[in-house]
Amino acid sequence: MKPILLQGHERSITQIKYNREGDLLFSVAKDTVTNVWYSVNGERLGTYNGHTGAVWCVDCDWDTKNVLTGSADNSCILWDCETGKQLALLKTNSAVRTCGFDFSGNIIMFSTDKQMGYQCFLNFFDLRDPQQIEDNQPYMSVPCNDYKITSAVWGPLGEFVIAGHENGEINQYSAKTGEIIKKAKEHTKQINDIQPSVDLTMFITASKDNTAKLFDAASLDHIKTFRTERPVNSAAISPIMDHVVMGGGQEAMEVTTTSTRIGKFEARFFHAAYEEEFGRVKGHFGPINCVAFHPDGKSYSSGGEDGYVRIHYFDPPYFDFELEA
Amino acid sequence: MHDTMDMVDDPEYDEEEPSFSDPEDYVDDVDDDELLGDILREKPQEADGIDSVVVVDNVPQVGPERLEKLKNVIHKIFSKFGKITTEFYPEADGLTKGYIFLEYAAPTQALEAVKNADGYKLDKQHTFRVNLFTDFDKYMNISDEWETPEKQPFKDFGNMRHWIEDQDCRDQYSVIFEAGERTAIFANDAKEPITFEERARWTETYVRWSPKGTYLATFHQRGIALWGGEKFKQIQRFSHQGVSLIDFSPCERYVVTFSPLIDTKEDPQAIIIWDILTGQKKRGFHCESSAHWPIFKWSHDGKFFARMTPDTLSIYETPSMGLLDKKSLKINGIKDFSWSPGDNILAFWVPEDKDIPARVTLMQMPSRHEIRVRNLFNVVDCKLHWQRNGDYLCVKVDRTPKGTQGVVTNFEIFRMREKQVPVDAMEMKESIIAFAWEPNGSKFAVLHGESPRINASFYNVRNNGKIDLLKMFDKQQANSIFWSPQGQFLVLAGLRSMNGALAFVDTSDCIMMNIAEHYMASDVEWDPTGRYVVTSVSWWSHKVDNAYWLWTFQGRLLQKNNKDRFCQLLWRPRPPTLLSADQIKNIKKDLKKYSKIFEQKDRLSQSKASKELVDKRRTMMEEYHRYRETAQQVYQEQKTIRLELRGGVDTDELDSNVDDWEEETIEFFINEEIIPLGDL
Repeated sequence: MKPILLQGHERSITQIKYNREGDLLFSVAKDTVTNVWYSVNGERLGTYNGHTGAVWCVDCDWDTKNVLTGSADNSCILWDCETGKQLALLKTNSAVRTCGFDFSGNIIMFSTDKQMGYQCFLNFFDLRDPQQIEDNQPYMSVPCNDYKITSAVWGPLGEFVIAGHENGEINQYSAKTGEIIKKAKEHTKQINDIQPSVDLTMFITASKDNTAKLFDAASLDHIKTFRTERPVNSAAISPIMDHVVMGGGQEAMEVTTTSTRIGKFEARFFHAAYEEEFGRVKGHFGPINCVAFHPDGKSYSSGGEDGYVRIHYFDPPYFDFELEA
Repeated sequence: MHDTMDMVDDPEYDEEEPSFSDPEDYVDDVDDDELLGDILREKPQEADGIDSVVVVDNVPQVGPERLEKLKNVIHKIFSKFGKITTEFYPEADGLTKGYIFLEYAAPTQALEAVKNADGYKLDKQHTFRVNLFTDFDKYMNISDEWETPEKQPFKDFGNMRHWIEDQDCRDQYSVIFEAGERTAIFANDAKEPITFEERARWTETYVRWSPKGTYLATFHQRGIALWGGEKFKQIQRFSHQGVSLIDFSPCERYVVTFSPLIDTKEDPQAIIIWDILTGQKKRGFHCESSAHWPIFKWSHDGKFFARMTPDTLSIYETPSMGLLDKKSLKINGIKDFSWSPGDNILAFWVPEDKDIPARVTLMQMPSRHEIRVRNLFNVVDCKLHWQRNGDYLCVKVDRTPKGTQGVVTNFEIFRMREKQVPVDAMEMKESIIAFAWEPNGSKFAVLHGESPRINASFYNVRNNGKIDLLKMFDKQQANSIFWSPQGQFLVLAGLRSMNGALAFVDTSDCIMMNIAEHYMASDVEWDPTGRYVVTSVSWWSHKVDNAYWLWTFQGRLLQKNNKDRFCQLLWRPRPPTLLSADQIKNIKKDLKKYSKIFEQKDRLSQSKASKELVDKRRTMMEEYHRYRETAQQVYQEQKTIRLELRGGVDTDELDSNVDDWEEETIEFFINEEIIPLGDL
């Protein structure tokens, strides 16, 4: 497969996301820029300008009307997807680490870091109530215990948020009451990324403890584990095959010793049922920070520390490949 | 102050001085013991002295003129054990009788003397026999009845060679991982390693196998421990505080330990030589630095060991641990030495000294006969490389020829098996990076040049002295050569900074069988049979991707074994084969017959393994599908809620609401082609 290289950022990519229909790919990076691209050929549609710090997260609602970004400049901005206009600017006390629209697109959540004396909070705004936006008053703000939230996604029907913490814990927070409905502790180190399956029934977590794990979204049952020798920065579940893709990195200290390895940072493909690795895709010049499958499962993208986003369309053999069973 | 005066005469002194004498009939109620106890204890007792007396036999018989010197020597040797209070040298006919009596201050000291000085070799003709004086009495009075001595319980460690008897001929190897927390012994199976033994904190730093594979040595703060037998029980323990390095004798009878910690002038403790079977400390030595470990080099049969100190070569013999011929070899300027791995021959070299050229000498032990001397001119440095069987010696000589500035390298090849040991010289144009002899053959491999243009050359030494260049490969990424222990095959590796490039070569026709890479590999280890090679990335040199990979000797990758913080892998050595050369020849002749049997066995186990894997996968898939089905059911049940949340729009599939789609045609620039239309 010959990848499409997207060059639109000057610093490392922090997150990439497809919209529900898959025609658009959003990318955010440490250079304060938010880009949106046509996934079919990599042509850039536009940028969303406004953040003054590294942008950590991005999400798009189901109808591709609104875009939400969270940044280290202590703000979370809601944009109009088509025009790029800022619809709302929500100031916070510390950096916004993760954000997302719920299934209906009406409620947004975002988490703030534990910084400068401020605790980690999980905030909920209802977009149908403009007063909340004007007053910058979330209808609910849930404080977190000692271990801050490092990644979070909505549950399948918008009743709860699944959050991964710095210590490897996973909690389900009710979107109505803020209580912790369920807990799971399977990882031993920080959860770097959580991504749901396309039908939102399961999700995959990527952790610094060198593994990625598959969970059931409603029960938080641990279903599968995928092991590697390096910290996993991001993982995604294929919409059409029993595959998962993982992108990883290494300890920051080790970067100099492996910097001679040009173009050799790899995304790894595992069989979801057998937990066995069956393929790798090289190409990035630095650790991979984020991976995402196209909603139709025929391509995937990865964003790296090198500032590049690569879109890969699978060759026919990929779909026919089967491990002997 | 008054002048002293006789008090009594002083007229002013009136009072009578009290009398301090006992009244006439006073009987003392303090007995002597209480009052004078300490003095009484030292009262010389008649029968006492005998326990502290030793008799030393085989003392040289000397006349009065040498008596003083003899007494000094005896005194020096024996005062180590305690304070000598009396000595008696009986004489007859003007010479000492040949035996002497020494009395120590305490019986314990006498015992020490007997223990340590008995058997002391004064010189060629005189070995002391030391006994307690009281022993003579004891031996004279031995009862005529024989009492069977009590049997010491036999410590059965099981079959010490148990691992060799493995039905499938799997070699063992030790692996240290989890940064040293866990050590495991695996049996090497081509499919996957089989865990034999695994222990936490088995060693504190690293492990070493003994040369024939019988023992595994582990390091601890207080010393080392040896483990072996079927269950790796602890065979022996040697207490040496702060031990950091060890070395085994080739025969596995002795182990040498080094510790930089304690080292006193009287009792050298830096290096200690132990007898493995009895656990006894045989001898201790001083050591300034452990820079070139092993300090003591063993001869191939374990009969001698030697060490080099400035201008001196000291050779000791076992089992007495004494200096051979009672004196060291004085070799001015000696720079380096080594034993032949096949015979008791020492090779050493000395640099130029005024007008005497530098030379390499081969000396036979214990006769000290110089078999061969080779003069070398304008030498900067020399390195000795022995072929593993002692058939050849290569001396790599770096020289600066007269009138030039640069350094050229010569290889002086000594053919040890031929009469008079002929030497041939070969000049190498480029600087040498690595050199290695084929272990049991006549070939050697050299890596030369400067990075990035490194070349690998293979040579063969023929009987008539001609050294043929078999093949040269250029532009290699290699900095080390690893020959298979059986010869013929080797691996060229670019370790550490060269990112783990590997080349597998068959030197019978000098063909590169395979070129591969184990990124950031830090070590390469052949198994003792030469069938497998392990390349590994040690946590000690690189903090990520710690794993060891197993390859066949042809360079086919068999396994990748990731181990959390993997540190070290060492193959367990095999003892030398018990088969005679004829038996080996016969087996090679019938090899076809044997390989048929083995192939069948392999096929059976292969199909079993893949069947196991297939079954495992099938179960996992079924489980997974069952889970997905349940999840799907719940998903379907929630459809109405989903429609509600999205205002009636069905988004379950990408093409769920085709009716809402708009069609739009977009043009993309694909290609540009310029077609010249000719002159217009």
